Amino acid sequence: MVNLNTIAPKNGRSYYIALGLEGSANKLGVGVIKHPILKEQEIGDHSHDCHAEILSNIRDTYTTPPGEGFLPRDTARHHRNWCVRLIKRALKEAKINDPRLDLDVICFTKGPGMGAPLHSVVIAARTCSLLWDIPLVRVNHCVGHIEMGREITKAVNPVVLYVSGGNTQVIAYSENRYRIFGETLDIAIGNCLDRFARTLKIPNAPSPGYNIEQLANKCKNKDQLVELPYTVKGMDLSMSGILAYIDSLAKDLFKGNKKNKILFDTKTGEQKVTVEDLCYSLQENLFAMLVEITERAMAHVNTSQVLIVGGVGCNVRLQEMMAQMCKDRANGQVHATDERFCIDNGVMIAQAGLLQYRMGDVVKDLKETIVTQKFRTDEVYVSWRE
Amino acid sequence: MKNGREMSLDYVLNLEIPFTTSRQAQIAAKVLVPDPILKPQDFQVEYLSQDNILAVHFRGIDDRVLRVGVSSVIDSIKTIIETIDELD
Repeated sequence: MVNLNTIAPKNGRSYYIALGLEGSANKLGVGVIKHPILKEQEIGDHSHDCHAEILSNIRDTYTTPPGEGFLPRDTARHHRNWCVRLIKRALKEAKINDPRLDLDVICFTKGPGMGAPLHSVVIAARTCSLLWDIPLVRVNHCVGHIEMGREITKAVNPVVLYVSGGNTQVIAYSENRYRIFGETLDIAIGNCLDRFARTLKIPNAPSPGYNIEQLANKCKNKDQLVELPYTVKGMDLSMSGILAYIDSLAKDLFKGNKKNKILFDTKTGEQKVTVEDLCYSLQENLFAMLVEITERAMAHVNTSQVLIVGGVGCNVRLQEMMAQMCKDRANGQVHATDERFCIDNGVMIAQAGLLQYRMGDVVKDLKETIVTQKFRTDEVYVSWRE
Repeated sequence: MKNGREMSLDYVLNLEIPFTTSRQAQIAAKVLVPDPILKPQDFQVEYLSQDNILAVHFRGIDDRVLRVGVSSVIDSIKTIIETIDELD
């Protein structure tokens, strides 16, 4: 039996307040979340419905010029420069005057992600914890996305499609773990989209693939897809080959290489395919692969709910395609959130961390707070679910 | 002399950073201690807090390793100081 109320809130309050710090990639997020004590949470699994109130959700993104990716060292410097200012703003917005009394726990991302940015944030988290004498909770970034998605959409037990700049996983819950049913074998979907965006010299902000989506919407030739490799490998995906292929097409297009029969008419030399067409075809191809493995996972675990999380989850076309698949299955539902919660943020770390805290999982020695670049979703023991 | 080579971290730097209180210096040391050194055979750091002073003792295999290691620790110390300044 799961009981989320075993640890009483500090200072005799009737609610818990958690501060979440996220900085595993180029987004730095600080959020404050509040959980009231609910009677029903003493008897069973209500972790998807905590009546969470978001007191503040602040994010600052390190952006690089179009055509460039973000490097760990520069991203870490960005996080160091902004971290304390963002914490201050988040606390002020949440009307927390004395963190020593008003905060129950500080949650931070332990991994997975880029080492240097993770480290620069954990330094601030440790310092705050010692200054204010508040316990720390280490959160797996992927679990953060899942728990935030469940809380916002109230999906009880969905198959989770986690698609972002660094991760592509199909996840389902079983026996106190979020088990990975399928994942990418090489690069993440957001990375594939971002790198194609770099080839096109269009910016990557605000979320992976956003500007590709905008270009794809302008495609005038939607019934004529450019044929791309379709690389589903069982429950897994591979995307590096697709990227290399579409990159070479884009380069031929920019150079005006008339020998390329896919792009130019052999007789007249007329251009058949535009950049918009390429973006549209890439999206359709990649998302069809995602929908396929998600559907298979749904059949495996016999559920009708899908929850899409992660930065690429904001993509409206992906949500549409997933909804179409769910409609074709018996009363399936797609749950997705908007950019406030899809894109990396501090609130999701606070949400997952607060669930962990309420189940008694806190850092006892600062040695446990060492960040790690590799931290698989199924390594986390999910004590807050049946 | 395999052992001798491993031990020869001859390039040394000592930093002493004064904080306002001894508690702050202790906090800084506690925050810095847990993180592992990637190549302990090439670079070593020790943190000590004495009263309000944080003393950091660096040893490196050459001046390049020493410079890189020192600058990364200073970056962390800057974050700690800013956090203490703004949030204590």
